[in-house]
Amino acid sequence: MRWLLGILLVVVPIAASAQDRQFDQVVAPLLVDRCIDCHSGAKPKGKLDLTKKASAARVVIPKDLKESTLWQQVEAGKMPPKKPLSDKEKAILKTWIDSGAAWGTDPIDPFRITTSRRAGYDWWALQPVKRPDPPKVKRQDWPRNPIDHFILAKLEAEGLGPSPEEGPLTLRRRLYFDLTGLPPSPDDALDFLKEYQAGNKPHAALADRLLASRSYGERWARHWLDVVRFGESHGFEHDELRKNAWPYRDWVINAINKDMPYDAFARLQIAGDVLKSNDPDSIAATGFLVAGGYDSVGQGQQSAAMKAVVRQDELEDVVGTIGQTFLGLTVQCARCHDHKFDPVRIEEYYRLTAAVAGVRHGERDVTAAPLRLAFEKRLAESRAKLDELRATLADLEKPIRAKILAERSKIKSGQPVVKLPKAIARWDFTKSGKDEIAGTEAKLHNGATLKSDGLHLPGGTSFASTAPLDTPIGAKTLTAVVRLHNLKQRGGAALSLQSADGALFDAIVFGERQAGHWMAGSDFFRRTKDFEGPAETDANAVHIAIVFHPDGTIAAFRNGVAYGKPYKSANPLKFDAKGSMLLFGLRHAPVGGAKHLDGTIVRAELYGHALSPQEIAASAGVASDYIAVEEIVRHLDGAGKAKHADLMRAIAQAEVLLAAPPPATRVYAVTPRAPEMTYLLDRGNPTQKGKLLGAGGVAALGLKRFDMSVDAADADRRRKLAEWITDARNPLFARVMVNRLWHHHFGAGLVETPSDFGFNGGRPSHPELLDWLADEFVRSGYSMKHIHRLIVNSATYRQSSRFHADAAKRDAGNRWLWRKSPLRLEAEAVRDAILSVAGQLNDAPGGPGYQDFKLTIRGATHYYTPIEDDTPALYRRSIYRTWARSGRNGLLDALDCPDPSTVSPRRAVTTTPLQALSMLNNAFVLRMADRFAGRLKKEAGNDVGKQVMRAYELAYGRRATDEEIARVRPAIERHGLAVFCRAVFNSNEFVYVD
Amino acid sequence: MKRRDFLHWTAHGLGGAALASLLTSDGKTAPGEAADPPPHHPPQARRAIHICLCGALSQVDSFDYKPELTRLHGRSLQSSERPDVFFGQVGLLRKNDWDFRQHGQSGLWISDLFPEIARVADELTIINSMVAETSNHTPATFQENTGFRLNGFPTLGAWLSYGLGSETENLPAFVVIPDTRGQPAGGPINWSNGFLPARHQGVTMRSQGTPIDDLFPARDLGPDADRATRDLVASLNQQHHAQRPGDDALAARIRSYELAARMQLAVPEVADLRQETLATQSLYGLDRPESADFGRGCLLARRLLERGVRFVQLFSGGSFGNPRINWDGHENMRQNHGQEAPRIDRPIAGLLRDLRRRGMLDDTLVLFTTEFGRTPFTQSAANVVGTGRDHNQYGFSVWLAGAGLRHGFKYGSTDEIGWKAEEKIANWYDFHATVLHLLGINHERLTFYHNGIRRRLTNVHGDVLDEILA
Repeated sequence: MRWLLGILLVVVPIAASAQDRQFDQVVAPLLVDRCIDCHSGAKPKGKLDLTKKASAARVVIPKDLKESTLWQQVEAGKMPPKKPLSDKEKAILKTWIDSGAAWGTDPIDPFRITTSRRAGYDWWALQPVKRPDPPKVKRQDWPRNPIDHFILAKLEAEGLGPSPEEGPLTLRRRLYFDLTGLPPSPDDALDFLKEYQAGNKPHAALADRLLASRSYGERWARHWLDVVRFGESHGFEHDELRKNAWPYRDWVINAINKDMPYDAFARLQIAGDVLKSNDPDSIAATGFLVAGGYDSVGQGQQSAAMKAVVRQDELEDVVGTIGQTFLGLTVQCARCHDHKFDPVRIEEYYRLTAAVAGVRHGERDVTAAPLRLAFEKRLAESRAKLDELRATLADLEKPIRAKILAERSKIKSGQPVVKLPKAIARWDFTKSGKDEIAGTEAKLHNGATLKSDGLHLPGGTSFASTAPLDTPIGAKTLTAVVRLHNLKQRGGAALSLQSADGALFDAIVFGERQAGHWMAGSDFFRRTKDFEGPAETDANAVHIAIVFHPDGTIAAFRNGVAYGKPYKSANPLKFDAKGSMLLFGLRHAPVGGAKHLDGTIVRAELYGHALSPQEIAASAGVASDYIAVEEIVRHLDGAGKAKHADLMRAIAQAEVLLAAPPPATRVYAVTPRAPEMTYLLDRGNPTQKGKLLGAGGVAALGLKRFDMSVDAADADRRRKLAEWITDARNPLFARVMVNRLWHHHFGAGLVETPSDFGFNGGRPSHPELLDWLADEFVRSGYSMKHIHRLIVNSATYRQSSRFHADAAKRDAGNRWLWRKSPLRLEAEAVRDAILSVAGQLNDAPGGPGYQDFKLTIRGATHYYTPIEDDTPALYRRSIYRTWARSGRNGLLDALDCPDPSTVSPRRAVTTTPLQALSMLNNAFVLRMADRFAGRLKKEAGNDVGKQVMRAYELAYGRRATDEEIARVRPAIERHGLAVFCRAVFNSNEFVYVD
Repeated sequence: MKRRDFLHWTAHGLGGAALASLLTSDGKTAPGEAADPPPHHPPQARRAIHICLCGALSQVDSFDYKPELTRLHGRSLQSSERPDVFFGQVGLLRKNDWDFRQHGQSGLWISDLFPEIARVADELTIINSMVAETSNHTPATFQENTGFRLNGFPTLGAWLSYGLGSETENLPAFVVIPDTRGQPAGGPINWSNGFLPARHQGVTMRSQGTPIDDLFPARDLGPDADRATRDLVASLNQQHHAQRPGDDALAARIRSYELAARMQLAVPEVADLRQETLATQSLYGLDRPESADFGRGCLLARRLLERGVRFVQLFSGGSFGNPRINWDGHENMRQNHGQEAPRIDRPIAGLLRDLRRRGMLDDTLVLFTTEFGRTPFTQSAANVVGTGRDHNQYGFSVWLAGAGLRHGFKYGSTDEIGWKAEEKIANWYDFHATVLHLLGINHERLTFYHNGIRRRLTNVHGDVLDEILA
């Protein structure tokens, strides 16, 4: 039997190749569809792998059904176990075995052919875009452009017909909201109507005008921000605000307004910093990559294993968003295993993560070079000027100082003189930021400045730090002369000696456990005792010393005198040489939280042993040569006082100049790092490392996969990725985008899942139209405005929105577009329309967003409490809202504003009683109703009829009928105009667009 | 419109009009909108209260009795691996700070941390073998509520609102009562609808002051003017709809204003706790300063459920920081848990008793959970018995009570010191699958399509814990 098979295969090679094709096209898909879920992979059931010829040979004996176990099982209905094969399917297997069981491609590639349960390489969306000819239609007079041919052909095939064209004013309102998200201006309505009646086709001209307006970009950028999960805070536990995320939002608005070609639009968002490294705007574009959440606590935790999981989650967010946004492909589903529904392998998922493995969240300084140079020049000049002023001041003060100190020494005479031991480091910040012993400069961070009276730390996240210290340190004494700006502050440190990562530290801490009290740094709750000294009441400089004895005893001194009681702690800290550093103003790393001091450090010292009380007193005595300005001034004569005051003023001015922040244009964008090695992770588990992978794409797109070496640079990886995605032959890139545009014009896409063109997504209602538009998009140089024009000028778009029971019976969902579906305005458009109609819209473009919340920080967690304020600053268009992830807005939420933590290619539209309550009662809506009433009185006078007419023009874009005026008149006359204005905002006609 | 038609519509993307049409239904209840609508089997429970302890309750000090830990007090942990803990410090083992006793007929071991809950021990079904995927509070809390560690997924309450809808049109299906001292970290992310339609987001309600936002005009307009606006809205909308007959979405919006008016009556009524007798108020601890706050929340929760709300979530504990207002006892367990437990002990016991005597516990679920547990060793230097405990994802305890459960039952266990779950390990997927099961939902069938996947509360995991079912 066996040898016979061998002969057969050898002797009929030509026939076999036809049979191979038969196998690949008919038999293999059947096996893939019905058998290989169990019978393939690493551990196939019954050790039978039906994708492999050799394994299958055990159960398939050519031309011998009786001996073929496969056939026996199938025929008996035992396999597949849950749902037996149909007769037709059985027949395929029978014929195949009977005719010699020829095997084609070996092993079978399960991704090759689409089955009833998953998409293969032949999936519709993965095929090259082909431009079809617009189909012929019966009603030749209806189409205005090729779009209409596709739509009408389908309607005719379904036995439906299009709706008549909508009236001019309704169309005008539709165009305004659709293209700009704002209601039409009433003032040129009459002109529009005249043009229309004169047959001058003002529709196209209006569309052009609106597409050229700034509002167009503000409207359509919002759609894009939904797709890319744009939020302006980290999310997760701390939800830190991203103050500089807005440049990405502005970049999107500007790019859309400029009609930036979509391929360039995509490339810059993936690799703008690489492609145009000197262009701040292009760097801002990469805000796309990091628009999602960031788990700062997860990234900072001690557990390395959990950190790795957090990083993988972050990469999934980036890769998933890229795949869905530009490819309509849910590649992230292949993180743990091959994609269950689309032809994406787990290896390809990890190749894509390798392509973005250099992507990290952060802020970048994108200040233009000339600006920076000019600033530095100015800075140098101010510094020189300041030095001069200080020298003059010192000369003036010198004799006075000597006098005061002489008087002081008289008082202290009689005390034993103790010589201070040698310190490891010592600063006098009234002189400089230099360590007087080592000569190294303290580094200032986040708003810390050196002024003539010391190191100014304004709180926030300001602090100063040193380089690692050369000396090993066991027992130690920390001293600082510090002036607190605020005695109620909690948890900052004057001076801290910490390990480089901040995990270990000894510090002089103020008000951490108990408000107002000095304590030794608690080192993560290891030493939680208090000295039980008195609360600090002195807003002037005080000398604080904390002595850490070798036996663990910790003692504190204030102005040279014991402060509270010493106590003994376990495990006194020891630091190796280069194992410690000093911080001024920060308790310990990392930066942030309630660990920063709001005060001025005048002096600071670190000793490598425990100072005696006498030595402390001496240290404090040295500190007492600090003389308050007031005391010096008291000793000056009249002319001296005046001169001193002038000098102080001049110095203060110069200091302001010095403290001026550099012209930092900071953007929240990709802050690339050298990519970590990327491994295939079995089951997505970071501890289960498989093979090392370089960056690459997904084979199913039919493009070259751009496989790169494992050590390629971040810039090269992202450049290649961007090129691969925007390749003109990419079948998904243009299709996905034209479908998004269609979706927002009609309320539903030709494919109803705009970010998923895979097996689980929707199928196109008009596949030829989708391809025609995609091709048109590419031919126009990826011009979005070109597609908008085609759509809004089509007869399809211009149809009436009226309901027809007959048509609805055949097509309730209006899938074939027998009318223009009426659309409820999105949350932002409702709010913007209210502002606009009330005459309150603040049209300021771009820049930092408005904040309709109060930010409070507790620990490191950011809380966003909604606020209500009557100020034009809050009356900007909703796209300029600061979208903190936990800072949601009740009114916008009630109107289905999506959670910015999740990608939202398609918004839900719901109608709920809570929404009605929000629209009726929200403070903003009530105030705007009053303003709307005020506007009507101003523009229409006291005549109720004229007021109502104006209200209809403004809110509904049309004139009121006499009957309509008569109907609302009594209520207005009785309860006032605002009652009516509130009703208008709540009316269906206001929130729906026909 | 028939339900089938509606489903057809949502499947074809006209979700807006279709969802809205739910409000036009004649039936008394607003059904869920799931594609494969529950019940998938006869439900044991019709509603649930979820009490969430933020900050991580220590299992070895509350519901997981470990005599061996007492014996080993002051010794170092004997383990082949160095524990991978959040703050990186592994001190010596510390015995429970509260004594354990057996309670009720069931003889369940519960510590003196919860003396009142201990008295209703026979109502509880304790799971001692829970594990979490992270020991980082916020992702762990997300997972406790959504099954996922990340932002952006729907919470259990949102899923139930989507799957089961509400039994009343006058109140929201999913109500959240945050701790009055502050919201948990992440704020509204903790009751987010995620990718489900926004109407499934939890509605926050306060047990004192105005119960929900925007229930009444932000400033007093006078009843006549308010009425006049509503009449005008109705009139404008009727006329508009008359010109567009057949558009269900427009009719639904008209109806939503009628329902809003009913909600304005129903919400103040449900929030008026003075309607309860003094004895009932006392049962919930309203007459004691330490428990009055949480007691009001529990009592409000019961009143909401009574009126048809599907899911009420109560938070015990708010943000992280200093001073602590949650269960995150890093520094000092006695001080921290000793402060938090009396706030909730009497109210929760009162709630269980009240539900029982009203017969509601027969078809109501009570869930008592925390995002993870705490270490049996202290957060201190290696040779020290400290006073605080660090985060522990490897073993912790939660409990359930009410419909369909084996009462007075303990499931699974941790190792001898209460560190790692060892026997019958259960995770959040299993927990969620079980809760859904009790509510008549097959967790594999309650799905929502989002970006390529039919998403589930239980992702691709979850086994119903059959053994804890009655």
